[in-house]
Amino acid sequence: MLYFVARRLVSALSVVLVTLIATFTLFFVAPTDPAAAICGDRNCTQQRYNEIKRNLHLDRPKVQQFAEYTAGIFAGRTFETAGVKQKCPAPCLGFSFKNDRPVYETLKTRLPVTVSLVAGYAVLVLTIGVFVGSLAAKRRGTMGDRALMTSTLVLSSIPYYIVALMISLYLTILYPILPRSGYTPLTENPGKWVAGLLTPWLVLGIYNCTQYARFSRGSMVETLSEDFIRTARAKGLSDRVVTYKHALRSGLIPVVTIFGLDIAGSLAGAIFTEKIFDLPGLGNLVIDSLNNYDLPVIMGTVLVASVFLVMMNFIVDIAYSLIDPRVRLA
Amino acid sequence: MSIGSPDSTVGVEEHPASAEPVRAASVAHGKSPTRIAMDRLRKDKLAMVCVGIILFFILVAVFAPLLAKLEGQTFSAFHTDLVDEFGFPTTGPNSQHWLGVEPKTGRDNFARWVYGARPSLIVAFSATLFGTAVGVVAGLLAGFLGGWTDRIISWIIDFVLSLPYLLFAIALVPIVESMRGGSFNLTPEEQASTRFYVLIFVLSFFGWAGLARIIRGEVLSLREREFVLAAKAIGVPTRQVLFKELLPNLVAPIVISASLSLPAYVTAEAGLSFLGVGLVEPVPSWGQTIAVATNWFKADPIFLWLPVLGITALVLSMALLGDAVRDAFDPKTRR
Repeated sequence: MLYFVARRLVSALSVVLVTLIATFTLFFVAPTDPAAAICGDRNCTQQRYNEIKRNLHLDRPKVQQFAEYTAGIFAGRTFETAGVKQKCPAPCLGFSFKNDRPVYETLKTRLPVTVSLVAGYAVLVLTIGVFVGSLAAKRRGTMGDRALMTSTLVLSSIPYYIVALMISLYLTILYPILPRSGYTPLTENPGKWVAGLLTPWLVLGIYNCTQYARFSRGSMVETLSEDFIRTARAKGLSDRVVTYKHALRSGLIPVVTIFGLDIAGSLAGAIFTEKIFDLPGLGNLVIDSLNNYDLPVIMGTVLVASVFLVMMNFIVDIAYSLIDPRVRLA
Repeated sequence: MSIGSPDSTVGVEEHPASAEPVRAASVAHGKSPTRIAMDRLRKDKLAMVCVGIILFFILVAVFAPLLAKLEGQTFSAFHTDLVDEFGFPTTGPNSQHWLGVEPKTGRDNFARWVYGARPSLIVAFSATLFGTAVGVVAGLLAGFLGGWTDRIISWIIDFVLSLPYLLFAIALVPIVESMRGGSFNLTPEEQASTRFYVLIFVLSFFGWAGLARIIRGEVLSLREREFVLAAKAIGVPTRQVLFKELLPNLVAPIVISASLSLPAYVTAEAGLSFLGVGLVEPVPSWGQTIAVATNWFKADPIFLWLPVLGITALVLSMALLGDAVRDAFDPKTRR
């Protein structure tokens, strides 16, 4: 077991390291010119350009720049701009070109929005998806099952952003049936927090629960035909106990796997939801930074998201082998 | 009785009636798996409707200039006389502008819609083509050669699959643009064409890994089969074993993967254009039109609904067809 964990950890760390190198190469070694991007088009004198280059250490060898950037993530670093020293504390991902604040600070203010969005979504998608899926599995082959599965197939075939956009435009703005979306911190006003996130939660949850429903249905169908279910029935247990206590427990294992990856992915991929429902999360930050050519912010977000994804992959792998003893640890 | 005797003609002579079914069965066995799957697909009514809709969009894209000429408009001509001072169009659909005009610029909706089908389809088909080609070759090499080749390719596959693809797509756009001199220095046409290739590159870059993993798994089991061993034993070169012996056995996963990635790419292209990272003016694209049209959706619903319906119909029919293709090639998936 320990050997397996260690091996997975090494492989995860290698992916993180390569992601770091890849993002750095993309942003700073490729023939891009961050100094020119900061300096802007108008009134950019050669002197100012050189100064920016010196301050950001862009005139140093690339390998040294990379070492400094990596060291900055763990130990922090100090920049000097026109005699004024600027400290960038420990997880230093550089300074934003746009507002000169440390990137990490910006990320920290945006993260709660995305986390709130994903947390509510996670609860919804898991409960609705698994419930619908196991219900369909129990009534396999009936009209209801077929109708449900067809409608989930059709719904999940329509692009997500179209569904979200149409609901946002028609159900919250034109005919305000659902509450208008917006973000209020949970600590400030829990009621407003829920109201502002309700529509995005519902849209995300209902759209994505179709995949969970199909997945858990398949898994449940398989589990319900296993011997231990027959044994449980033979013991005289009630139908509900058999389905929800015995079958669901083992039928859920593969669902948990995709759930972990989905949550990690949606932290990085909530871009459409945030853009359409106008929530100031990480995704919106990336789009804004793109319009401003704010490379350090984009790079920082990509890095954080990649690390998160790799971590989640690792956790899911370990959890999977813990839950299901049949998984070979090799 | 002669059942089990090596000389089967004895039995046939004794029971002439039994000769018929034997021959019929051998005819049925002559069909290749691909033929069987295609026959199964042809019987699927929903799949055929989807094929019709997809063909319709392909024809619209191919004959876009002809259709626009038929209407007598171009996709880029401004008609500022047809919008009022606030930018709202003053005319609805009429004989000159079949589906009305855009707000603000007054460009023709119909012409922009038919031209908008082009980038979606071109990007999706080329990304599928590149992604599939790379995925198949990488999977074949990893699975067949094994050893270090396999380890390196598998690691790259894991790496690509663990990257946040949407974020990387967004990050790549400014980088490639600044390689070409920065977005400030590019003409709109240059920027648009750059975006076009970036999109194809990004989509195929993230699309090959999934297929490569599937192909690798299949090859791992296929390479131990007798026909591959036989080919190797008589000294067939590796390249020929890969493409002549193994590839024909991989038709099903390749076709399934390609037919499922097409709708995904159309969705991704329009989605990225909607976010402002995909195609840009002056190239007409549905995703970008949707982004603009959200500001006008109350006053000018046609403007919004045209691209929305276009994408929805195209993606929905592609996805349902992909599902039908999977069922046809792999009947086990249908429970």
